[in-house]
Amino acid sequence: MSLQALPARYRVAARAAETHDTVTLRLEPVDQPIAPHQPGQFTMLYAFGVGEVPISISGGPGGPGLVQTIRSVGAVTRALCEAGQGQVIGVRGPYGTDWGVTDAAGQDVLVVAGGIGLAPLRPALLAALAGRDRYRRITVLIGARTPEELVFAGEIAAWRDRGAAVHVTVDRAAAGWDGHVGVVTQLIDRADIDPAATLALVCGPEVMMRLTARALGDQGIPPGRIRVSLERNMRCGIAECGHCQLGPLLLCRDGPVVSYQRAAPLLSVEEL
Amino acid sequence: MTGTMNDTPAPGFTGHAFLRGMPADSVARLAATATAVSFPAGRRLFEEGAPAGTCWLLTAGHVALFVHAPGSEDLIVETLGNGDVIGFSWMSPPHEWQFSAETVEATEAFELDGPAVMALCDRHPDLGYQLTLRMLGAAVRRLQATRIRLLDLYGTPRPRAGAR
Repeated sequence: MSLQALPARYRVAARAAETHDTVTLRLEPVDQPIAPHQPGQFTMLYAFGVGEVPISISGGPGGPGLVQTIRSVGAVTRALCEAGQGQVIGVRGPYGTDWGVTDAAGQDVLVVAGGIGLAPLRPALLAALAGRDRYRRITVLIGARTPEELVFAGEIAAWRDRGAAVHVTVDRAAAGWDGHVGVVTQLIDRADIDPAATLALVCGPEVMMRLTARALGDQGIPPGRIRVSLERNMRCGIAECGHCQLGPLLLCRDGPVVSYQRAAPLLSVEEL
Repeated sequence: MTGTMNDTPAPGFTGHAFLRGMPADSVARLAATATAVSFPAGRRLFEEGAPAGTCWLLTAGHVALFVHAPGSEDLIVETLGNGDVIGFSWMSPPHEWQFSAETVEATEAFELDGPAVMALCDRHPDLGYQLTLRMLGAAVRRLQATRIRLLDLYGTPRPRAGAR
């Protein structure tokens, strides 16, 4: 096993519940930190004695610490979500491709997130906001099941203050909700998009990304200017085990961020 | 009509997304039945079960479509905004609103009188065809959006084998 594949010890410095099943952990290195990450990359988080899973980094680049947002969907993620302050977990990475948000310099950045898909997009958004003058419009479209299931809901006002146009839609809401109700693709239909000068970053469940990419295409954005974050069963993180293969791609190396031009033919193949 | 009536509808009316591509003579006939209106936030546009005779082409603001849920809070079905049309129930029996609608924020629209539009379409089938195409298009888009919502896109994914 190479040194790159050995987990570094990180301690949970802070834990914040985003929703009923999603938690954001701030991790600080116990020993040598892992290499600096780029927005969109992921790490392998190891709950000792339980197992290891790939988790997107949800914090901005810079500094030795990591911010990771985890949804409890199984034994390992449940253990990570339950990790309390001071608990030590293993971290490998960072792995994979990044959003390449700087490719949108001088143009519009359009971020489209579904559910917890906002987590891996958050570093790209923070990076764009940190270099606000380099971009024209920064638009963020967020879809969630309900207002209660919005992640990073407490940050939306700050993103707006820093120059992003943020629109949120939910599938279901009770009276009193003053945001949109409907699917995130409807926000695309209503957005003012300059298709010739927009880089779209999309993350969410795969079906949502396909439908979103289609809606963006209807607006005239070419597939090569749409980037999606794909997930398969990442295990090794270093393109050796093959578990995360998607056609010709090993997503731990060639992804998770992939141009939709490359991803589109693969996402419509059954059992791939 | 419960809003504030403003000036004659043109020119904003002719540029409304719903009317895009409609022949000018049809737009002009429709414009003659339209009134520019504005509503404050919280204004009830229509009530579930009441007679339906109006539709609105929204130009600003938001309107929430909702259903009453006995013993519970009202449930918002969808929100509509600039470029959308709201109010289909006047077109087909029983000509009653199937949902209720209320402005979420200050809203501007062009209001069309349903029976007047229907009479106009009877006299001018070309207009009727153009209007039907657009109402059908809007209904199809809503149906597709509703189907997508049925997928529960953002729900908890089912773990694959060997799951996390």
